[in-house]
Amino acid sequence: MIRIEQVTKRFGRGAGVRDVCLEIGSGDSVALWGSNGAGKTTLIRCVLGLIPFGGKIRVGGHDVRRRGKHARMLIGYVPQELSFYDEFRVNEAVVFFGRLKGLGALRADGVLGRVGLSGEGRKRIRELSGGMKQRLALAIAMLGDPPILILDEVTASLDACGRREFVSLLSGLCGAGRTMLFASHRLEEIAALAKRVAVLEKGTLERTVDAADFATGIAVGDRGGTVVHLVIPAPARAEAMQVLRSGGLVPTLNGVGVLVRVDENRKAMPFGLLSQAGVRVDDFEVIRSDGHGAAGVHKETP
Amino acid sequence: MNLATFRAGCDLDTGTSETPTVIVPQSLRDATSPLGKGGGQTPGNASGKRSSYDMELCASGHLPPGMARNVLTVAGRELRDAVRAKWFLLYTLAFAGLGLAISFVSASATGGSGLASFGRTTAGMINLVLLVVPLMALTAGAGAIASDRERGMLQYLLAQPVSRSEVYLGKYVGLAFALLACIFLGLGVCAGVLAWTGIGTKPGAVLWLTGLSFGLALGMLSVGMLISSLSRRASVAVGTAVFVWLTLVFVSDLGLMAGAMALRLRIEQLFWLSLVNPLQVFKMWSLHSADASLDVLGPAGLYATEEYGRGLNAIFAAGMLAWVIVPLAIGVLVMNRRAAA
Amino acid sequence: MNGVLGAILISVGGLVARAGDGLPGNDHESPRDRAGLSRAVLTGEIGKRIAGAEEGATIEIGPGVYREHLRIGKRITLVGLPGAILDGAGSGDIVEIAAEGVTIRGFTLRNTGIDLEQENAAIRVLAGRATIEDNVLEDVLFGIDLRGAPDCIIRGNRIGGKALDIARRGDGLRLWRSDRGIIEYNTLHDGRDAILWYSSGITVRGNRSENCRYGLHLMFSDEVVIEDNTLTGNSVGIYLMYSAGVEIARNRLVRNRGPSGYGIGLKETDRFRVQENLITGNRVGVYLDGSPFTAKQPGEFARNIFAFNDIGVTFLPSARGNEFSENNFIDNITQVAVSGRGTLTGNRFWKGEAGNFWSDYTGYDRDGDGIGDFVHESRTLFESLTDRNPAMRLFLFSPTQQAIEFVGRALPAVRPESKFEDEVPRMRPVEIAFAREEAAGGALGLGGAAALLLTAGAGVLVAARRDGGT
Repeated sequence: MIRIEQVTKRFGRGAGVRDVCLEIGSGDSVALWGSNGAGKTTLIRCVLGLIPFGGKIRVGGHDVRRRGKHARMLIGYVPQELSFYDEFRVNEAVVFFGRLKGLGALRADGVLGRVGLSGEGRKRIRELSGGMKQRLALAIAMLGDPPILILDEVTASLDACGRREFVSLLSGLCGAGRTMLFASHRLEEIAALAKRVAVLEKGTLERTVDAADFATGIAVGDRGGTVVHLVIPAPARAEAMQVLRSGGLVPTLNGVGVLVRVDENRKAMPFGLLSQAGVRVDDFEVIRSDGHGAAGVHKETP
Repeated sequence: MNLATFRAGCDLDTGTSETPTVIVPQSLRDATSPLGKGGGQTPGNASGKRSSYDMELCASGHLPPGMARNVLTVAGRELRDAVRAKWFLLYTLAFAGLGLAISFVSASATGGSGLASFGRTTAGMINLVLLVVPLMALTAGAGAIASDRERGMLQYLLAQPVSRSEVYLGKYVGLAFALLACIFLGLGVCAGVLAWTGIGTKPGAVLWLTGLSFGLALGMLSVGMLISSLSRRASVAVGTAVFVWLTLVFVSDLGLMAGAMALRLRIEQLFWLSLVNPLQVFKMWSLHSADASLDVLGPAGLYATEEYGRGLNAIFAAGMLAWVIVPLAIGVLVMNRRAAA
Repeated sequence: MNGVLGAILISVGGLVARAGDGLPGNDHESPRDRAGLSRAVLTGEIGKRIAGAEEGATIEIGPGVYREHLRIGKRITLVGLPGAILDGAGSGDIVEIAAEGVTIRGFTLRNTGIDLEQENAAIRVLAGRATIEDNVLEDVLFGIDLRGAPDCIIRGNRIGGKALDIARRGDGLRLWRSDRGIIEYNTLHDGRDAILWYSSGITVRGNRSENCRYGLHLMFSDEVVIEDNTLTGNSVGIYLMYSAGVEIARNRLVRNRGPSGYGIGLKETDRFRVQENLITGNRVGVYLDGSPFTAKQPGEFARNIFAFNDIGVTFLPSARGNEFSENNFIDNITQVAVSGRGTLTGNRFWKGEAGNFWSDYTGYDRDGDGIGDFVHESRTLFESLTDRNPAMRLFLFSPTQQAIEFVGRALPAVRPESKFEDEVPRMRPVEIAFAREEAAGGALGLGGAAALLLTAGAGVLVAARRDGGT
């Protein structure tokens, strides 16, 4: 469905992507993984034809540069945060995007009902909460039933509860057979939605791994055990790395915080170290692996 | 559907299946679509494993709508947004208010003698249009692209199956209609007052002036949107638009006057140079079509009348059209070249 | 302005010279002319009837087209019944009156020759006390041409010139040394001039003139009354030269916009009064050059309406001794202009307590006596700029103009001298009864236009809003 061939996009300071090749078949679901600035969003923008780039991208056989309109006809896109005209009513937005997607008379209520927004049609977009906005964006993305869904860190601006709801909604709606490409920092999302994970690092595609192997593979290696994923505000991450290293742990950075392998019985150790050093931890996940390639994510709210 | 339903399907097992098990609430699966359309089979979905929900929302085939339709869709949205915006209300009120003032002042000045001719009323209306319409159209255009880009809306819009030209032209058409409404209301109020006070300005002249004002607005909108498409930030775009407005309204005229006197420009040079300014084109065309002929404008106007006579209409039309089409075309090119965000 | 003036002087000068050479007054009878006319007199039906008539007889001519050239040498009354047409067949004159007291009434005369040198005319009058009444003259080079014919009455005729270039047209009406005539209720269109040469004591009343060169032109003609005429769309409305004792009252001078385009022009004219005229839409409402010519009597302008002219009144520096009172100056682009660098000293814009109404007066009237509390002054920076540099008029009606005028008001340093003052400016226009009927019937149409615009504008708004609320 999506074929990315040697895509290169340079921005001023070396960000962007370089020589990325990726093929996503029909029904495949690929997560883009990498720290901020690794090129996830850039790659998605290239696929959507939003920015000029070198190389070639085909969506459903359409060149996104030459036949971008046809390519995007196959894509439902959910951005990180829906930003659309605040004064617009929810109904209007649905009807508007429905028209752009070639849908004729459309009753917004039914569409909104599917994402839990029934009865909200008369509200203005600015009156919606973050979670409602994202659900509206999803409803819009699903208009016309596109075979491809592209999500760009769709839960980044939601709180823990909103995130859970949204991911379950996604997994419920997207169902089997739909091709997906999404960027995420969250292992739980990858576990729930992805079949494969494409790991980007500084704009290059490092490797593509099976989603099931991924959570363990990335931080834990193949040894099995338990990994704690700590969500830490960006300015404090470097300090957190230092603190954890000096505590004898082996942390790795990702886009929202730090992954650190811990002893199953001493999972709280990193928290102790960090709180002593005065580093704030916003959220965390515990990832367990049986050492044979299967991983599960257990999500807890602090 | 309430959130509880979602939560029911939300507690993902931390289990060990290869593909995550998805629990879809029954209510979701069974929901009937109000669309009632059969879904077309999509190229990416040969397996036929879609849920009923997917099938029902499916568009007929996967062909994007045509250009005209998309332009109209975007235009409709832009127009709706514009007429709700503060600037629209503000400009319409200012336009109509100033028009009212001019009409009443003219009415009291002529003392209701009811003499029909070209006079200060028409001159006042031309002046009003020259001041307000370019400012309105330039700033409206300047906001169109840059502010959307700044707020990420443009990116979201362009991620839909529309082309950039469609978005650009759609915005242009939508804003044009908003300006049309504003101009019609403003000058309509003027005409109403003139009719009521019994000043006999010819109705045809008012309609013609309205048409020309709209032409001017189209040109200035075109320039404003070009500025917008080139600007990264809305504030910069609006600032640039105001600067361009000042230039067109005051600076270029003053410059030309000073230049003409200093360099002793010939009359025909002065005439042609002044035509570079679309405001002058508007003004001369209004005068030319109103009761008074261009010779009101002294030797240069006399030269124009004698040299070109009826051809003047074509000259003015060409000038105005150029100011509509050229910036619009460049704007579309810029839009197509530049990144959406 | 000087160029235009020069052009006029040259053209007028040429006229004088040509008239002096080519028009030897009463002695106009070339042999060729006589021969042609004689043949016509002998052969034509009307000619035979005239030949057979007695002195003082009335001859009625029934309907029909008569291709004849007539010479009337006895005192008769020639009446054309409806449908009686005299056709000149495109050559020569049509009727020549050589005896006193002849009346011609009710004919249609058409199709004279086009020889400007011979001055082919529909009716040439060479003797006094003729009455030319209710005729229709179509497609004629000269219309009615009086030469040394005093005490004539020309009334109710309709005179239409040939569709020729202005330089090849003749005068619709010309009086040459023909005193004490009455010219009334005639209509002239598409001719050259209606002109009086050396003809005094004439009354010109109730005539209309459209699309001619000079609506009415006086040369060396004294004691003339010009009243109730309507002169529209001519090159110049009324132009007086070297004349004295002229009354101009209740005329309408509308849209006379030729290259000079005066409503009324006065050149070296003496003892004149201009009252209650409607002067509107002309290039220059009134043009004053060396008038009044002597200091015997001030030039008097009272109760006129100067409205919507490019320039209300233009003074050449030579114009002194005019008095303007109780006039309405309404929305002339320039109300009063001085040509060149002259001043208006020697002319006055009020007379006792009687000032004028100025639509651009900015003062107010606190004591409510109808007279503005401040002197009306005329000084705008832009106007003084265009007075000096006419090309800058190109920037009229632009915000730039207003910016310049604002600067002129704000900075005393660049403030120009006031051109003139009116010490007792009126707050309201003077009511001038006859001008009111000119009020445009446009109000209804204008209301329609307003309704149209408002409906369309509101329609767009409604459409925009309804479309959204699915």
